[in-house]
Amino acid sequence: MEGEFKEILRANSLYHIYESNAEDGNVVALRGLSISMEEAEAVAVVGPSGSGKSTLLKCLGGLMKPSAGSVELGGTRMTRLTGAELVELRQKTVSFIFQDSNLLPHLNALDNVAQPLLHQGVLARPARKKAQDLLDRLGMGDRAFGMPDQLSGGEQQRVAISRALITDPKLILADEPTGALDPITSREVLQLFSQLHKETGVAFLLVTHNREVASFCERSLELREGRFIAQHGVDVDIGDLADSRELIVDDSGTLTLPPDVLLQIGGPGRFEVSKLERDVLNLDRVDEEKVSIASSGKMRLSDTCPACFHEYGESEEQLCPECGSSRPMVQT
Amino acid sequence: MSLEIGSLFSDIIPTMIVAWISLLFTIWFILSGRNGVRWLSDLAKVASDPSIKGSGFSPSAFGKKWYSNFKRNWLAAPNNISLAVKSAWRARERGLAIFAGVFLSSLVITTVLAYAVGLNQGFFQFSLEGEVFDAKLDFQEDPDGTWEGRTNDSLLWESMCDEITEMDEFSDCSLVYGRQGIRIDGFFDDSFAVPQPLNVVSASGNSADWGNVSWDYQEAFENGPPINDGRTIRFYGSGVWDGDLGERHSDSVIFGQWPSTASDAVANRSIILPSKIASAAGSEVNETISSLTFSYINGTYTFEEVEKVLEECQGTIENNIEVGRIFCLETFTVTDLKVAAIYEEGAFANPTLLFHPVMVTDSVLSEEQKLTLMQKDHAYLGLAVDRNQLPTSSTRDATNWLSDVKDDLESVRGELTLEDPVTNESTLIQDAKLPRFYAVGACSEDFSEADLLAASEGKATLVCESGDFALLSVEYNDLISGTITFLNIFLGIIQVFDYILVIPIVALSFVVLAYGLILSLEQRRREVAIHRVIGGTEATLGRMMVLEVFAIGSIAWAMGFVLASGAVEVVLRAVGFLRFTDAGDVDVNPILSGGSTFLVAALTIGWAYAQGRNKTKKFLRMEIDEGVRKISRDREPYYLLHYLTFGLGILAFVESWIQSNGGFWIWGGGGIISNFILNSVILLLGPFFLWIGGALVLSQIGATGPQILNRIFGWSPAISDIRRGLRGSGSSKSVSQLSLILLLTLSIVTLAAVQGHTGTLVDERTTNAQNGADLKLQFDTALTEEEARSRVNQSIEVVDDDDISGINSMTSVANIFTQTKEDSIPLLTWVVFDDHEDSLIWDRQAIPGSDIGEFAASLAGSGFTAGDLAEDSLDDPLVGTSLTLEYTTFVINQFGIPEATGTTETTVSYTGRHQWVPGFSAAETNSVILIGEGSYRELVGDSSADSYRSSMWMFDLCDESEKGCQDALETLGADLRSRQGVVSASDWSTAHEQNERNGGLIFGTPGLLSMMFVVAALASVSSAFVFLSLVLSQRKRELAILQAIGASPNQVVRLVLFEIMSILLVSMLLGVTLGLAVAESFNGFFGVFGFIFQLFLGQSAPIDRDLIWPWLEIIAVNGLVLAAVVVSLLFTTRRALDSDLATVLKGE
Repeated sequence: MEGEFKEILRANSLYHIYESNAEDGNVVALRGLSISMEEAEAVAVVGPSGSGKSTLLKCLGGLMKPSAGSVELGGTRMTRLTGAELVELRQKTVSFIFQDSNLLPHLNALDNVAQPLLHQGVLARPARKKAQDLLDRLGMGDRAFGMPDQLSGGEQQRVAISRALITDPKLILADEPTGALDPITSREVLQLFSQLHKETGVAFLLVTHNREVASFCERSLELREGRFIAQHGVDVDIGDLADSRELIVDDSGTLTLPPDVLLQIGGPGRFEVSKLERDVLNLDRVDEEKVSIASSGKMRLSDTCPACFHEYGESEEQLCPECGSSRPMVQT
Repeated sequence: MSLEIGSLFSDIIPTMIVAWISLLFTIWFILSGRNGVRWLSDLAKVASDPSIKGSGFSPSAFGKKWYSNFKRNWLAAPNNISLAVKSAWRARERGLAIFAGVFLSSLVITTVLAYAVGLNQGFFQFSLEGEVFDAKLDFQEDPDGTWEGRTNDSLLWESMCDEITEMDEFSDCSLVYGRQGIRIDGFFDDSFAVPQPLNVVSASGNSADWGNVSWDYQEAFENGPPINDGRTIRFYGSGVWDGDLGERHSDSVIFGQWPSTASDAVANRSIILPSKIASAAGSEVNETISSLTFSYINGTYTFEEVEKVLEECQGTIENNIEVGRIFCLETFTVTDLKVAAIYEEGAFANPTLLFHPVMVTDSVLSEEQKLTLMQKDHAYLGLAVDRNQLPTSSTRDATNWLSDVKDDLESVRGELTLEDPVTNESTLIQDAKLPRFYAVGACSEDFSEADLLAASEGKATLVCESGDFALLSVEYNDLISGTITFLNIFLGIIQVFDYILVIPIVALSFVVLAYGLILSLEQRRREVAIHRVIGGTEATLGRMMVLEVFAIGSIAWAMGFVLASGAVEVVLRAVGFLRFTDAGDVDVNPILSGGSTFLVAALTIGWAYAQGRNKTKKFLRMEIDEGVRKISRDREPYYLLHYLTFGLGILAFVESWIQSNGGFWIWGGGGIISNFILNSVILLLGPFFLWIGGALVLSQIGATGPQILNRIFGWSPAISDIRRGLRGSGSSKSVSQLSLILLLTLSIVTLAAVQGHTGTLVDERTTNAQNGADLKLQFDTALTEEEARSRVNQSIEVVDDDDISGINSMTSVANIFTQTKEDSIPLLTWVVFDDHEDSLIWDRQAIPGSDIGEFAASLAGSGFTAGDLAEDSLDDPLVGTSLTLEYTTFVINQFGIPEATGTTETTVSYTGRHQWVPGFSAAETNSVILIGEGSYRELVGDSSADSYRSSMWMFDLCDESEKGCQDALETLGADLRSRQGVVSASDWSTAHEQNERNGGLIFGTPGLLSMMFVVAALASVSSAFVFLSLVLSQRKRELAILQAIGASPNQVVRLVLFEIMSILLVSMLLGVTLGLAVAESFNGFFGVFGFIFQLFLGQSAPIDRDLIWPWLEIIAVNGLVLAAVVVSLLFTTRRALDSDLATVLKGE
């Protein structure tokens, strides 16, 4: 990693388990996931449903504590923080944007935008002023006093974006930010993102299914079964991830193959490392059973006493009649 | 509603604002106090345990923290509050339940408190009605001393009135010649009885028969300390005719007009007569009394001074043994008086001024007579206190106020030098109580307080050039505080009773509030999640939500408070269940004191705040748990406690039922628990236990209503397709809470209706028993039926009211002495004449059996009944036992000695025990036997029976349950009372009113029960509405899912309708049943309080509280609830169905 970039987010071997009463027991949403993001970086997370994207966002944003693993946000470890400290850290570093705008239904656009500042203890007047400026910048100035249910979907999302920006965050975590919008509006929102990204240098972590969104980011991470398995460049193709995929081997040496790759190599099985040198790893499928099972591993009583070397003979005694030590078992 | 808008703005609202602000401060104080304690304990922890790294105290960090807190708490407050109010308004649906809870509790608590104030005022006014003067002002010095502090110039003395009326506390003042000056320390001072009034000796005139008038007034002796038993006379100065005193006097005038001005009185030489005197003389208004002689006290001597009396006294000598004095009476005569008015003699009130005088203007006295009366200490100033200023919030306040007034009038504070006569040492006492001197006369304005003080101490002599003046010091004799002392005790008990009685409805409103809070918090789950994402902390979110509760609470409190202040008068005027008298009967302006207002605010807003804070905290803990999201486990309710409470309630119910039933199975009339105290405790608390425990236990059944009805109606095609949907319902918490609320409210509605109706009926029956008939007349001589009839007919003609056209029937109860033939047991025998049941209002409780017609027939056909004691003396005869009565007739022979002339006999058969005879007390009728006219005729003979005379006759005139009849009865009664020869005329209507006000159901209860009924009915309708819409909007998603998987809107509506309606119907059924049971067990509660009241008032005829079931009201309320629920159901279900499926399903 280049030294001039500071790390804004780092997560090491995150595990998260949801308690469940289902037959299979608890649900493991994250299994040893690691990620690192630098300041002013835009990262997309792609993956099928149920791969743990929302859990990941919540854990990374400090809304939820992972069952195991650590998250560092702006250089501060969140594992040991108390509730209030955590909120404070969140207030200073991250903002969230969701698929539906999640505006407070009983506040108008302006108050919705100003609300995060009020939570930080900023007085109402300066908070409102800043909110108005932001809304102006996002072209929503004239709708500032509209109630959420009077705004269109795109407008609501702009308000939500303004609300996310008002705290001057270093990182924005967005969960399908354009999911509920039509293509034109989502393009506008995306333009807004890239404009903000360039102007303010805020980092983005976007969960998306959308190709346009993914291509806005500098890299994309492929999430499967609660773990990042591959990284893609700018030219990611959501439809066929195989083209741009770079598989990830993480610190613990784990490598997970995506299903299509697994299919291509002929399904699960055992592999021999045929070539192993720097930056190269070749695997060959092993066709025959190489390791024969030596013996059945049956045990029988020992013939002699290990202490006094008394011969038991045919006797079934458990204790040595000479020294009294117990009779051990040995492999047949 | 006569709450003046003026007093709303001038008194109530400012008090409310002050109370509200002080509540804010109290809350702030408590919170910061708690923080302070926490801070201190942290500090102590750090100090005591060095291993804890003290964070280190740095002033800059502290300052920063302080500033940020300050900014957060105070600078941001206006915005926070406005946001809270705004969001409270925008999300009013979820706040509705909180609003309802606070509003109800505020309404109820305020009403009860204000009711107590109003009751106090009402009773106070009522007991002050008989009192025209509030105080008697005498000279402080005895007349036989020097003239210091006194004057014999009546004009100077009267001019003192100007000085008095200038004081705010007094509204009117007048010179009165009457009872001598009383200089005593306390009410029970011996010398209270010594000072004597002026008594009328004789009167003469041409038109009226003054020779027929007795000026003795023995009743005065019997109704107070034995001061004087003659008819007193007062001469009034100029101040009494107009103003407050004039009004109070003219209130009791029944004929003629109270002279409206002093000059009017002077010009007409007015005299005002009491009704008894006027009726005895046959005197009428505008008649002239040519001369009137009255006596005054020329000298008062002790019994040791007998010789001195004989030597000095020129007039009549009178010994008064009770007082222990010999009085020397002289007489004066005034002439040519014109009767201006006749007033009705009211109750015997405070004896200080003596009762029911003849009143005359003092202008008829000569200057010489006035001078003499002044010198003999017969002149005082009668004062009227501005009764509006008298604090009525509590009688203690009033007592304090009065004693302040007394102190202020009588004394000043100053320095006093005391000289010890032995050592000649003098001590200076600062701030001593010195008699206050008034300079009255020509130059009364010229002296300063200091001068007067100096003069009173003898240090200076005052000189005035402009004219004569006198230095006076006064003695203030208060007439009000005695009334207050009685009221204190009396109203205290009433208030305790009333407070206890409204506990259910207050508890109910708290329950509504608590559930409202929970539901409204649950509605905010999503909102809280959003806030949490954008950086809300537990503290800021908590503050935000609590502030909203506080805002809603404040508004609800204010509305409830104002409404209650206005409604109290209506409640006060309740004379029966949901029956109210006309305005003007009581004129009260119940304004709560600051303390009480604060109490209401603290109990309602404060409670909502505390609850809101608590619940919000818990809620946020659960929501903003930063760890793994905890699966919240609901605490299992304390079912054991519920069942225990219910069990105790049922015990009380059974106990109360057994007692009212007079025993059951192995238990006697005393019930299961024989210990008096334990029994009382159970009876007092039982109803509440039964109510709460019953509601908690039964609500579980109520919640399973759908299953129950499903089982019953499952076969019907109407629900066969939704059966599966119903199977799982009823289990949710909110549904069982809906059932609980319905149970609680509907049972209270039922309770109030049942007990209210029962109480009203008991009042009527009590009146029936006490008065016996529409009109009960006591004449001073025995009259025949015809004579009595003509007397009443005369009066009916005079009154000329359409509602009484004539006498429907009349009867009397004769009494003779008989004895049994067998054992010669003497029996006091009362006789009811045939058709007595037309006039006498018999009660089923009073007679053996339950059919009045049968009872009358059995008496007419030689039956007899006996009272409790008489039954004992006859050795408890069996019903149907024959008894032969003997009656001996006597003739007075020439020597005046009665001589037996013969014995007659009749055989009567026993029909059972009577409890009482209408119009007579139960105690009287206990020891008599009652026979019919037939048996009576056999005993006394037809001729005696035909010429039967009695001084007591009873009449049936009209239907006493009608309003017009009641008014007419009152007028007729008043007219008859003022007639000569009528000792008393008690009409049913007046007796009923008195019963309702003073001894009925138990004071104030009709109003409170009516209020309870109305409030609980409103609460049940509105809470059903509110809770239902909350429950349904919670289930919006469920309904949407149902629709998404293919249920038709019709099916969804039917599902919801059936489910909710079945819960509702089952809850209603259980609620009404519970209410009936609670009403029954409240009988025991009323019994205990009734016992206490009977101790105080000695009520005679204890009427059974047979419960009446007012099905109409109960059905009406339940119907309303049903209607409200159906409307809200259709409304909310429709809305849930109309909303976009996708949105509902998507939203988390």
